[in-house]
Amino acid sequence: MIEDSEREEIEKLLPWYVTGRLGLADARKVERYLRQHPDALPQLQWIDAERQETTRANEAMGWPPPDMSERLLAALPQTVAPASGRGRLSSFRRFFRMPPWLGVEWAAVALALVVLVQAAFLVTLLTHEPTYRLATGSKEDGVPALIVFADDAKTADVTRFLTSFAASIVDGPKPGGVYKIKLRSLDKSQPAADALLKSLAERRDVVRIVLPSRD
Amino acid sequence: MADEASLIARIAAGDAVALRVLFARHHVRIYRFTRRLVRDGALAEELTNEVFLEIWRHAKGFQGTSSALTWMLSIAHHRAVSSLRKRREEPWDDGAAYALADAADDPEVAAQKRDAGAILRRCLDALSPDHKGVVDLVYYHEMSVSEAAAILRIPENTVKTRLFHARKRLSELLRKAGIDRGWP
Repeated sequence: MIEDSEREEIEKLLPWYVTGRLGLADARKVERYLRQHPDALPQLQWIDAERQETTRANEAMGWPPPDMSERLLAALPQTVAPASGRGRLSSFRRFFRMPPWLGVEWAAVALALVVLVQAAFLVTLLTHEPTYRLATGSKEDGVPALIVFADDAKTADVTRFLTSFAASIVDGPKPGGVYKIKLRSLDKSQPAADALLKSLAERRDVVRIVLPSRD
Repeated sequence: MADEASLIARIAAGDAVALRVLFARHHVRIYRFTRRLVRDGALAEELTNEVFLEIWRHAKGFQGTSSALTWMLSIAHHRAVSSLRKRREEPWDDGAAYALADAADDPEVAAQKRDAGAILRRCLDALSPDHKGVVDLVYYHEMSVSEAAAILRIPENTVKTRLFHARKRLSELLRKAGIDRGWP
């Protein structure tokens, strides 16, 4: 009876023993048991077969459609941004907690700022050409980068890679197999662009070289 | 993973690029996990995007006590199970999983049915969502006992027992399909 419960306890641990995700103490317990009870060894083979077929079944699910990231990004503006939303709310609350005279002063400052911003906007509109461009255009389109794909990267991998980063090829190939790409990004600050390029470069299965580009 | 914790921190600060990086890294796993549970590609896509939107909304609440992936899989599992409950899923029919070769099968189908790997795969697919969830987490996503417990929101001992029963059920299905492992 005790032996049965010990066997069941070990059998419950075996899947993690096979995947290598068992703690050291439990792993030693399993190994000790298997040395003493070799009749339990075939379990390891079955578990390995279960693991292989589970992996095949998951991989058979294929890849999600390439436009998923676009849909996610499209949904973002309708969603309250975690930090900015809270920031605005707390500023709003702080405003109403101020002494009345100070609140009025701040309100006057805010009103003046709104008027100034509107004036600046109108002046810009009347005196400058529009800054927006279509897909082939300016820096506002996204973060530019120079990229060399891995020699063994397949077309499907490259397509998935570009889609997942909302990137498009704008030029190339240039000598050395260099392509120029642009990554659509809501945040165009330098740290954000650096982080984006760093995450591109981590995809060693698809890219060989990633370099920043000025435009 | 410290790098992922910093990504979540950036998402909490409203950085959409960080969300995109997280998405690029993990959306395939989340999609496959949900699709295996709900057995519907379009619904799995919807659930996957919902997971990332929830990360976007609640990144500030991330404690960092588990990995970002564990957190995401936990949200994905919770949403998939809720959606299955809403759909009032028809009773799980595992009959088709272990159908043996019959005279009507063409030679290719008959050969496939005889193939032990294919039979095992069909039996795995026929497991209930509870059993399939824990099997996928441990075998495909290679989660430890504690990580699987965090994702499924159940105690660690329940995780071990659930996988143990899933494997027993698998043996029953295999036996009916003509493969006797002699266990349990």
